[in-house]
Amino acid sequence: MFTESVLVFIALNGIFAYSFYAVLVAGQLSLGQAGFAGIAAFVAATLAPTPTDWGPIPTLIVAIVIGMVVGSLAAVILGLPTMRLRGVFLAIATLGFAEGIRIFILNQSWTGGAQGMSVPKIVGPEIAWVLLIVVAYWFWRQGRSRYGRALEAIREDELAARSIGIDVGRHRLTAFVSAGAIAGLYGVLWAYFMRIIAPEDFSFSTAIDGLVTAVVGGSTNFFGPILGSGFQTMLPEIQRAVGIEAGWLRPFISGLLLLIVILYLPGGIASLVPRRKQKIDVAALGLAEASGESVAMREHPAKGEVVVQLNALAKEYGGVHAVQGVDLTVRSGDVVGLIGPNGAGKTTLVNMISGLIPPSSGSATVLGVEVGRTPVHKIAAAGVTRTFQHSKLFNRLSALENVLIGTHLVAKPTFLRRLLWLPSARRDEQAALAQAARCLDRVGLLEKANVEAKGLSYGDQRRLEIARALAADPSLLILDEPAAGMNHVEAEELSALIRSLANDGLTIIFIEHNVGMVLGTCDHIAVLNFGQLLASGTPAEIEADERVIEAYLGAVQEAEAETSAPVVADASDDPNQGRA
Amino acid sequence: MQQLLNGLFIGSIYALFAIGFTLVFGILDRLNLAHPAVFAASAFVGIGLAEAFELSIWVILVLVFLFGAVLGLVIERVAFRPLKNRPDAHFAGLIASIAMAGMIVAVLQAFFGPQTRRFPEGTAPEGKVEILGASATYVQLAIVVICIGLVIALNVLVQRSSLGRSMRAVAENPTAARVLGINVDRVTAMTFSISSALGAVAGVLFALNVNSAQLGMGTAIELKGLAVIIVGGMGSLPGALVGGLILGIAEVFAIQYIGSSWRDFIAFALLFVILLLMPQGIFGKRKVREV
Repeated sequence: MFTESVLVFIALNGIFAYSFYAVLVAGQLSLGQAGFAGIAAFVAATLAPTPTDWGPIPTLIVAIVIGMVVGSLAAVILGLPTMRLRGVFLAIATLGFAEGIRIFILNQSWTGGAQGMSVPKIVGPEIAWVLLIVVAYWFWRQGRSRYGRALEAIREDELAARSIGIDVGRHRLTAFVSAGAIAGLYGVLWAYFMRIIAPEDFSFSTAIDGLVTAVVGGSTNFFGPILGSGFQTMLPEIQRAVGIEAGWLRPFISGLLLLIVILYLPGGIASLVPRRKQKIDVAALGLAEASGESVAMREHPAKGEVVVQLNALAKEYGGVHAVQGVDLTVRSGDVVGLIGPNGAGKTTLVNMISGLIPPSSGSATVLGVEVGRTPVHKIAAAGVTRTFQHSKLFNRLSALENVLIGTHLVAKPTFLRRLLWLPSARRDEQAALAQAARCLDRVGLLEKANVEAKGLSYGDQRRLEIARALAADPSLLILDEPAAGMNHVEAEELSALIRSLANDGLTIIFIEHNVGMVLGTCDHIAVLNFGQLLASGTPAEIEADERVIEAYLGAVQEAEAETSAPVVADASDDPNQGRA
Repeated sequence: MQQLLNGLFIGSIYALFAIGFTLVFGILDRLNLAHPAVFAASAFVGIGLAEAFELSIWVILVLVFLFGAVLGLVIERVAFRPLKNRPDAHFAGLIASIAMAGMIVAVLQAFFGPQTRRFPEGTAPEGKVEILGASATYVQLAIVVICIGLVIALNVLVQRSSLGRSMRAVAENPTAARVLGINVDRVTAMTFSISSALGAVAGVLFALNVNSAQLGMGTAIELKGLAVIIVGGMGSLPGALVGGLILGIAEVFAIQYIGSSWRDFIAFALLFVILLLMPQGIFGKRKVREV
């Protein structure tokens, strides 16, 4: 059963599956890998010297280098224009590119056309398995690095990843290029094992096989592709060994087993192996703190300096003025409350401040950065992080992992150093972990660090999102309805947390419907109504403002006599928010 | 003129095939890669029926339509419904449908063997007509009429009928549709059923047009179907029709002026240019993401 060629095929199919794994971990579905492998194999086999001149191993090394470079270049050429595409669109575009490459190869004379090209045989089981292990090692070390975590964040929620400072475009391209390089490696190994290569070896069905192998193995664990390859390659062999005839029955059983794996093992075969969770060791945490081993801390602007300056800021959606002519100045160290009825433009305003949507007119400067054309991750790097009205957590990751991703901006890149097992990488990872634990502790979630985000209660999810935003060590923190879904006690704790953050020098803008909480927490309140700034001033001024009372607070004033923490009656039109 | 006509024949089959793809994608946001297997299976079943009972082609088309509809229900039930609540449902469904496609083709091989099959002589009416100096067989004319007729019928169904209204509601927002009392599971099953029925008719017509059916015939058209739905706009029914015709005509002219070996290149060049210049396709709507 384990003949030489079966062993080689397990290794080669595994390597090919890794080229899919490389992008699947970032949530991208690419089918271009067969094309990368094809062009790499033909170019390498043409340019590499013959083994009689150089000896087999140096020839193979040269061919591999050529192949990986060609594969990466092809990935860059395809990746740059297709980076804006997502999901199925990306899959089909990459598939089209790969088929284009195949037809191009088919129609060239230097490739031998449909007959293909003969290549000396150099690769045996040893070489194939050594290279498979190298590739697997690469992805093993990638998993727990800052880079690996950023890819995971992009897979789980791209917008949230952007908002904590991850350059999504660059990370996606890097993942894509590594897929190209590994596909190139596969192409070259295939060529130097099979003796003859033809364009048909790199067709659509090859790409589908690679994808299926990667998915069956599972993309949640670095050795998924090896398991997938073992499963897919051994299936026909086992069927032969137990005496199932060739013909229709073997592909039928293969299809059936694939279906069973997909239906009953959501994470692929690798999900059968329990995943080791990242745990916090509180004792080690204390040590790290004592030795001053900590992530770089941001210097906040001095108290009273202008942090946000809005001039006649406006946003229009096809004739609807969501926000119009808003002038507002936010000073460092202030807690600014943004209130107003539903649809007043509060979320639109903070979306513009955090760079998620460009203004239609007017200008906004935040921490010295002009928003509008600046990408979200650059604004985050300038020191602005936020939470969202509807929590955008990385649901399948633990609370700790969520916050750990939040440290992206302040942590150092560790992937390359992790490949070499440098102790400094371990120290940096520990520092990031300590930072994450501190932020969790600050919002009171330390004991729930290992709970999956989607398993947390609603209030805890909101707090976790604040911890994640804090982990980036921002100067300006924007909270969009942080107390939604919290009870009075929790809301009071949140209020205390916001005050203590302001004492540390942070500036906070928060949208909230719980007017009592806003009045008790803020230094400054801005009231929006129908997209316009109705009033702006200290809590006392707002409370006394006739227009505000008329437009917004009227109903609350009466209610205030009965309850200490009044909640606006029309708090939300969204039934899913579970508001008390 | 002759070239244009030939492009129209093949293009209308592409359109009919692609419209099944795009229907499922547009309404349910799922890519059903078992669709090409339905295409191949129906061609073989049609040939089998013609050989066994010497039926007329019209009866065969109706039977194959029903066969496709049932197969669509099976595919939905086995490969898609169990996955509907998974966070990666569209991705897992893609893989599950690939598995289904493999099983369907394996069963075909069990019944019909691996050889190329043809319709027996006399299944379809023979003879030719002259149109504006170009000649076309009755079969070819029937293909265009059937394809365009079915596409129009589908459009009317989606726009006018209550099932069509439910489909559009599910496409807009499945959760809201469910809250409003629409049986989303039933609409999903019906969508798969209609989609596969159209793919099945396309399979028989394709086999008639080139007078052969092979086990791998689905794979060849799969890629073109994907290209067509991108060019026309994902989820757009008129887009799939126009995209199919454009592709058919472009291919015929490519064979004439560039050479037949580059024919398949056209689909992908077209696909790529459209994706880069107008990712929403000719008729597609741009979806706006909100925070």
